[in-house]
Amino acid sequence: MYFLQIPSPERHGLDEPTLVRHAANGDAAAWEPLVREHQEAVFRLSYLLLGDPDDAEDVAQETFLRAWKHLKRFDPTRPLRPWLLSIASNLASNRRRSAGRYFAALTRAFRGEPIPATIEEKSSQQVQANELWKAVQTLNAHDQQIIYLRFFLDLSVTETAEVLQIAEGTVKSRSSRAIEKLRKIIRQDFPVLLEGLEA
Amino acid sequence: MNEDRLRAIASGMGYPRTPDIAGLVAARLHPSTRPRFSSRRLAWSLTISLILVSSFMLIPPVRAAILEFIQIGVVRIFPPEPAVQPITTATPEAFAPVTAASPSRTSKLIPILDRMAGEITLTDAQNKVAYPILLPAYPSDLGQPDYVYVQDMDANVLILVWLDPHQMDSVLMSLHFIPNESWAVRKIEPTVIEETTVNDKRAIWTTGPYPLVYSNGSIQFERMIAGHVLIWADSDLTYRLETDMSLEEAVKIAESLEPFP
Repeated sequence: MYFLQIPSPERHGLDEPTLVRHAANGDAAAWEPLVREHQEAVFRLSYLLLGDPDDAEDVAQETFLRAWKHLKRFDPTRPLRPWLLSIASNLASNRRRSAGRYFAALTRAFRGEPIPATIEEKSSQQVQANELWKAVQTLNAHDQQIIYLRFFLDLSVTETAEVLQIAEGTVKSRSSRAIEKLRKIIRQDFPVLLEGLEA
Repeated sequence: MNEDRLRAIASGMGYPRTPDIAGLVAARLHPSTRPRFSSRRLAWSLTISLILVSSFMLIPPVRAAILEFIQIGVVRIFPPEPAVQPITTATPEAFAPVTAASPSRTSKLIPILDRMAGEITLTDAQNKVAYPILLPAYPSDLGQPDYVYVQDMDANVLILVWLDPHQMDSVLMSLHFIPNESWAVRKIEPTVIEETTVNDKRAIWTTGPYPLVYSNGSIQFERMIAGHVLIWADSDLTYRLETDMSLEEAVKIAESLEPFP
């Protein structure tokens, strides 16, 4: 049945650059396993940036549709994931700004609301992670991006540099500054996270 | 600051389950990646019809849940799910059932109109959206919409609203223009799903009441739909016509759309 088809990269037996080349030539069947391969990272970054699973789903969909549209401009010898995360990050930022124009007052009213019920806080580790997320959300957008990429999605400095299209040295310096700001916020408002972060 | 510790804490983040983005993207790529032959459309219609019939008539409820959604244009229609509850952040008025038989029919929708973002004039809307605005020529005395909204959601969604001339605090109908690349509308628990056509193109007719969720980036805007919704797609747009009129009347209205001068 159409809705239940789940192609996988293994079934295609093709590596990423080859699939990208096929997709760039209009082969949608080659694009699908690539989407499936990277959808989790794209969705998670969108979710971290937007804080809402439905919005994250929308942005993730739009990310892959835009990437598909512009695939011919993409160098298939480069890894796909940083490019996709870069698109997702831009879309999420636009969406946040766009919504902010209309609903700034309402958004303020919702601040401090609990994490959506779709997330089950099953362990103290998850509680800590959610507290950390709340702390990161108080940073500016650029600092949030770098923290999410480096520490939540565990991207390397090189990958982060590709996503943000900045030099690796800049990633390191921005990361240090963001962490410094985060440390101040944690000291002030999230003491539960202090243990282990002050070392 | 210990980066390893930071990374360790972040690794415990509980994310929502990743949706089937690949399936959704594939569904949206289909129209542009395959030849637009009528036989394809016919095959697609037959496939959907088969899914509808098998899901709602032949398959037991548990198996029917496997069918995730039916998609036409960019509108996803989810089959009934008994466990789904109305979103709790809406005002109680917004969820009051509104039917043609109810004396309070559409008056409860007006406060919702007041809360909607992006009100604009029809002329300004035409300058803002990238597609031609179409207005119904039927009924002949309908005239131009009383309210026009353009909402920026990556691309511009247009919403036209006509008030009931005999009861100006009530909504007669609304027509939505939804660019394919911009919008997701989710309907939950439609009580009837019926296949029909608009200008020989496949369309879906649903009846409420059910909650409609507009995703806009930061908050969700919920309301209870009055009456019925006709959904059809044409080129790069999906159209939604909300009205309490009959299916035949709704199709007449949909087929009478003409460019706004």
